[in-house]
Formats: sequence, C-alpha cells, structure tokens
Amino acid sequence: MTSTPEVSVRWPAEYNVLPKEVFHRKDVYQAELAKIFYGPEWHPLAHISEIPNKGDFKTLQIGEAPVLIVHGDDGRPRVFFNSCPHRGTQLQICARGSTKEIECPYHRWLFNLRGDLIGASGMDQFEPNFRKENYGLKELRSGEFSGLIFATCSDQAPELEVFLNGTTDYLKKALGGDGRLKLIGYQKTIYGTNWKEYNDNEGYHPPLLHRAFRLLRWQGGKGSNGITEFGHKVMEAEVQQPKPGFLDDHSLVEFRDTSTPPRSVIVSFWPMTTIVKHMDVINIRYAFPLSPDDTEVHYAYYAHQDDSPELLAHRVRQASNLLGPSGFISLEDGAVFSRVHGGSRALGTVAFQKGYEGKPFQAPCFVGQNDEASNLIRWERYRQTMGFDRD
Amino acid sequence: MKYLAALDRHDMKAWLACFAEEGSYTCISRENHDAGLPVAMMLDDTHARLRDRVKFIDEVWSGTYEDYATRHFVQRFECIPGNGGRVTVRSNFIVSYTNRRGGSDILVTGVYEDDIDLSGTAARFKSKKAIMDTVTTPRYLVYPI
Repeated sequence: MTSTPEVSVRWPAEYNVLPKEVFHRKDVYQAELAKIFYGPEWHPLAHISEIPNKGDFKTLQIGEAPVLIVHGDDGRPRVFFNSCPHRGTQLQICARGSTKEIECPYHRWLFNLRGDLIGASGMDQFEPNFRKENYGLKELRSGEFSGLIFATCSDQAPELEVFLNGTTDYLKKALGGDGRLKLIGYQKTIYGTNWKEYNDNEGYHPPLLHRAFRLLRWQGGKGSNGITEFGHKVMEAEVQQPKPGFLDDHSLVEFRDTSTPPRSVIVSFWPMTTIVKHMDVINIRYAFPLSPDDTEVHYAYYAHQDDSPELLAHRVRQASNLLGPSGFISLEDGAVFSRVHGGSRALGTVAFQKGYEGKPFQAPCFVGQNDEASNLIRWERYRQTMGFDRD
Repeated sequence: MKYLAALDRHDMKAWLACFAEEGSYTCISRENHDAGLPVAMMLDDTHARLRDRVKFIDEVWSGTYEDYATRHFVQRFECIPGNGGRVTVRSNFIVSYTNRRGGSDILVTGVYEDDIDLSGTAARFKSKKAIMDTVTTPRYLVYPI
C-alpha cells in the first residue's frame, strides 16, 4: 500500500544489546510505519462498548493513518481509512459520534454505514467508465475478539486468531470475562518518547521506580509472565491487597469486585496497545506514534454491564486516580519514558540484563515476573521485520 | 488568587488549605464531561482524597517526574450569589508550562466551575471543577489545574 524505504542500521552482535539510533532516526521511523504499522500486524482500535449502537463511530490512527471504526446498520463493526476515496478529505473529525450515513463535506459524496458510495453530485459528468462500486470507502481487514475490534492494513497478515495465539485466555479475563463492558471515559496524553521506548516497559522496574509499592508495603502476588511467538506479552498475578494506613482514602487500592478472582491481568500487544485489568480498573491503552519523538496514548476505561451502582462508582474513582497518566502508581512511567528518550540521544547502545541467561529466547515461553530480558523477543522480531543485520 | 499562587509555587499544603472540610476537586476533559463519561484526570471527591493527592505529589512521586513551572491565567466571567454565604463562579483558565530546557507552551485551557463558601474567615472551595478543553494533554500532569 505504500512504498517501503530501505534503511540500514548497524546492529550489535550481542543478543541483549540494541543501537540507540533506532529511537531517533527519522528514516528508521518512516520505515517502521511502512513495515510494522502498515505491515502484517493487527491493531486493536476500539471495544464494541465504545460504539454500542448502529451508526456509532470512533476515529483513531494506525501509525499515522487515520481510521474510522463504524458500527454498521447490519450490526457489524467495520474499519475504514478515514479518508474520502475521491480527493482524500478526512470524513469524520470527532473522536466519537453517531451518524446515519457518512458524507464528505468537500463535494458531498455520500456513503452508507457499510462504506458503499450512495451518490455524488454531478456524476453524469464523471469519466465515462466511472463505477460507484469502485469508489466505496477503503475497508481494512478487521476482526473481533471479546468485543475488541482489530484491523490490519496488510493482506499479508495472518488470520486474526493466529495473531492472537496464546493471548485469548488472558484477554477474556482482562475484558471482564465475557466482554460485556460499558465505557466510562478516557484519559489522553502525549509522552515525549519513541513508541518503542513507551513499549519497552517491563517487570524489572515496578518495585524500584514506583515508590507507592514500598510506601504501601505492597508486594506483587504470585503469577506468570509469558511472551507469544508474535511478541505479545501476557501476565496474570494474584493481587495482594495492601494494608490500610498510608492513604487517607484506602479505597483507591481496594479490590471490591467479588464476581472475579482477585487477579491482575495484562496483555501487551505487539506493536502497541496494552490491555490492563488491575484492582477493579479495566483499561485499554490505545497508542500510536506521532513522530520518532512523540507517542500518543488514549487510556480508555470500562465498567462491567452487570456492576451495581456502588461498584460502578468505585471503578470510576479508581480509574480516575490509579493507573493513568496522572495515576498514583503510574505517573512515574511517563516521567521515565521522556527521560529514556532524552538519554538515548547519547551515542551508543543500551542493554537488557535482568533475566538474560546469555542465549536467545525461544518464543513462546514463560519468563520471570521481575525480568526485563523477555523484551528481547520483541526486539528480535523488530530487527527481522525491519531487515537489520547483526554485526 | 491564593489557589493560583499555591499551585504556581507547587505548594500543595497551601493548595489543600483552599478547600472546605467537605471540599472536592475534579479535573476532567471536556470530551468526557460533555459525553456524560464520569472518568476524570483527577477525581478528589472527598477531603481524604485531597489530602492523598498532596501525599502523591510531595512524597510518592517526588524525585521521579520532570518538574515544570506553571502559570495560571484566570478570568472570571460569571458570579452567582447563593444562600448562606455561598457563591458559584465560572472562570476561563489558561495554564502555561515551562520545561527544564526552558521552552514554554500552553499546558491546558478550559473553564473552572466553582462552588465557594464565603461564610468563614477565608473563602474556601466546597467544590472546584476544572473542565479542560484540552483533551490530549501535551505532557502528563503532575499538579492539579
């Protein structure tokens, strides 16, 4: 769909060492858009609870490409490029909305909710062999799991169920068990960091960076961390409830949903979006790069449709203050992202150490809860996708 | 005015002192507010939560975040007196920020909706709501708005 720029990067021979230049070079970034974001990967774009009714839509990006997710009048969600097939005008500019049909404002070309061109003004004067059927909205391959809608720009991507291998049990639990969610709001921010640095968060740092865990004497529970063949990270752990004392309102760190086992579940998809169920927060972090230096993240929060009014209120309070860009146990992540990006402008390489036993990992596999080295599986996939050869 | 000065000094105890005992603070995007979506960027709906926010900033996050200077510019455009020394006030705000490298920009802009108690020795917020037109903040927010 797009010309693929050829770039080369000197990649160190050591498996656990990466060149810093991939976090800054504009030519590398352009190649990443083509080979990864517009390449054969699937991207989570919306949960059906964000567009619950026929005609509801949401806009987002895959890489830098604007997309439009529409709940069709036949009940099926579809993903289109948010661009008129005539002259390229962006069709919807609101983050979310509802409509009966899709009209381009420029020349009033009109499309139905399935993306078919219904009519255009002055059509009798178009080229002689003009066919409406050739000018429907460009629809992307899409699929759904537990209400989560994925799309890919590429015909080369495997079937969605293959891409999701090893994640679906976790995904189901993270999305409320049955996917019957209710949207309760968004928090949106931009981190001054490269998308791969945003993505490189791992299990080594939490007890060290996040002082809240220490102040609350909050220990991580027993659990398992895995990584799939496509580079998706999955995690499930028992939630230990911290003892009251440090916070005046302890409910911020209380687990109140008795309908599910007290567990944290995380699915972190390659290349970007992460789904987090922690305490009573159900959160999807849609993320996309704006440039080599900026990454935009939309934290979307959900309740379960069966929640009591009390549990709903608790989820709203916990969602607002616990895990977002200004969250009690998460603000420091944002702080570190931009410092990592600033520091990686220094020449040279970075290394992953914790959990690295001196030999390549074979995915899928399970890894230590407080390790960082499993990210190297993603980096190996990145290196191969980008076509960078080791020294 | 005390509120703005406290925030621009990053004096969180002085910020807390601007609220009544039953005071609350909400900082929410207009996108959520107008769509009836209740999740906020900061939701301190009890005085305990206000006190905890001071703890987050002064104790928990201290030394990890990149600090930034703010300047709050506020213009009141509506003031409606109520009963018992209460007044509801709406004001526009623009908050600028200056990062460690010395560059400045607009952090957020929006409207304050305040319920103020004037009956005591000092005016205090019963509730203060910052509704941000800025939906996607250009950096993460450490301090309230």
